[in-house]
Amino acid sequence: MATADSISDIPAPSTPRDPGLLVFLADTPPEQLEQLIANLTSSYPAESLIIATADAVPPHSWPNLRIVPVPATPPSWMLTPAHFMKAYQLASENDARAILVLGPGAASLRPSALAELANPVIAAATDLAIPCYDLPRHAGLFNSAILYPLTRALFPSRARYPLAIDLGLSLRMAERLALAAQRSTTFNQGDALLWPTSEAAVAGFAVNEFSVGRREIPQPAENDINAILASVTGSLFADIEAKAAFWQRPRQFPPPRYPAPQLPATDPAPDIGSMFNAFQLAFANLQEIWSLVLPPNALLGLKRLSAANAASFRMNDALWSRIVFDFLLAYRLRTINRGHLLGALIPLYRAWVASHFNITASGTDPERHIEAAAATFEAEKPYLLSRWRWPDRFNP
Amino acid sequence: MQNALAIILQTVPDNTMQSVVNTDNASIWHHMSDALHESFYRVLTLLIAILPGILAFFVALTIFALIGMAVSAVLRRILSLAKFDSYLTRIRATADWAPTTPPSEIIARASFWAFVLLGLIIGVSAFEASYATAAVLPISLMPYLTHAVGAIFLLIAGTLIARFLARSVLIGAVNAHLQYARFLSLGVKWLVLVLTAAMVLDHLEVGGVVVELAFGILFGGIVLTLSLAIGLGSRDLVSRSLERNVDRTGEHAVPPANYPAPIPDDSLRHF
Repeated sequence: MATADSISDIPAPSTPRDPGLLVFLADTPPEQLEQLIANLTSSYPAESLIIATADAVPPHSWPNLRIVPVPATPPSWMLTPAHFMKAYQLASENDARAILVLGPGAASLRPSALAELANPVIAAATDLAIPCYDLPRHAGLFNSAILYPLTRALFPSRARYPLAIDLGLSLRMAERLALAAQRSTTFNQGDALLWPTSEAAVAGFAVNEFSVGRREIPQPAENDINAILASVTGSLFADIEAKAAFWQRPRQFPPPRYPAPQLPATDPAPDIGSMFNAFQLAFANLQEIWSLVLPPNALLGLKRLSAANAASFRMNDALWSRIVFDFLLAYRLRTINRGHLLGALIPLYRAWVASHFNITASGTDPERHIEAAAATFEAEKPYLLSRWRWPDRFNP
Repeated sequence: MQNALAIILQTVPDNTMQSVVNTDNASIWHHMSDALHESFYRVLTLLIAILPGILAFFVALTIFALIGMAVSAVLRRILSLAKFDSYLTRIRATADWAPTTPPSEIIARASFWAFVLLGLIIGVSAFEASYATAAVLPISLMPYLTHAVGAIFLLIAGTLIARFLARSVLIGAVNAHLQYARFLSLGVKWLVLVLTAAMVLDHLEVGGVVVELAFGILFGGIVLTLSLAIGLGSRDLVSRSLERNVDRTGEHAVPPANYPAPIPDDSLRHF
């Protein structure tokens, strides 16, 4: 009597797929896609990953990898609200436990850096894993001058790159960002920027920063860099204004960062002379507008700076922090048209850049100078609070 | 002839001469008095004729101003209760358009001034109707009165636009490192102001062809001056732009080795 193999007749229970991590690739160039997936699969088994991308991935390379197609969006150098909304939607649909959002050019990140960002959110140890990049000394200047010190002074986070384009997100963090994104797209502001660090701080979520090494940061494609600088500053100022009730309360800040000294610079020295001339030109022409925004003390400081020579040009950190705070206050009070206000800040930012290069040329480590400037912003926060609460009464 | 005249004068008795002079003086005073009385009467008649019109104008203006104040206060209260400003800030609806005063205050003020404008229009209409019935006012005054309101609005709008554009150009030119930024800004400001002045005069129907001619000359002069200034002053900018284009196509000369070329300002990576 032939006996049937009863065991072979019973269908084997399919092993439940535990996707775990949804990797959302925002505007990754097709030529970098394979490299990026190879980096990811070297850290995680392919079964545990869901890759959401707008480009086609060759199926023969990673047969176990689950690819979720994403509708193509207009190319952007930053993460847009649409990215956050789509990432959260896909994570919910696919029961992912965490999300890794990677911006354009993420293939330049090493595999361990991807794991650094993803592991803490998978383990639910943190809600927002934010990277700290190693950038050349003439890169990330706007972040060092305004975004980092201002975010650090007002929100209890020392994230070095508040506008990072690679993020590890827990589901609840992704949901919060998706809601913020939903709000901005509802009112036709689909190109608005979201500030994950401040969103996490207001929600009381855990934020951690991880060093990810070098990365190619995409730069905006538009030729008018001044308009982009004004737009990013305006977005940050608007975010700070909306969260004023949060940052005005005193809070415990995380311990200070001790930055590793940067490698000796190999890139050529920037042209300080032209930057200094640009500042002098701005001082000669924009005093009338600056005087509507800045108190006499700051104007006097700028006058002294304009009288210096290019080699000895140094902008005091306290002066710079108060200038930024005064512009933030003028943005809130609508002292002048906001477009004009943000445009008038750009020459001052360029002056800070010139001063920064002068300071670093004298032997100071760039990262130490940026940290010192950010610490000054923290120390000067009472000045902002006073002027924010009593703008007419307190005007030194 | 002179002798004959002297004889005649000597033969006329002195008292007769005196009475003729007195009679003439009384007649002149009488005529002057009559003329003055007639003039005074005409002025009074005119005033009485247009008084209802003036009264109607001021009554309409006052009533509508009062209504405007009431509507403005109610709107201000409602928007404040509805936290309209906070709502707009939350949705960032005013991020790009950034007035100095809060949006709720702007709406309240706009409603007040809309009522004042309505009062002005109705007042002028009432005055015009009264004037038509009286028909004693010089007809040339009426167009000025009715167009004055529009001209005032044109003047205010033109001045605001001139200031806005002048600041925009100044900031843009400074950020583009143009040495003649202030000159450019002033040129744009006066261009708009001249245009505004011409529009106001045209609206008031003052000057006619003279205004058009003067405007054409002034406008053309300013444009020519600005063109010359930009053409002469932006040589560096154009040469820099051309150099950049050459750099992109790889046609530039290779700099000597061991020479650390300075990083131009626009090659800094801000992000």
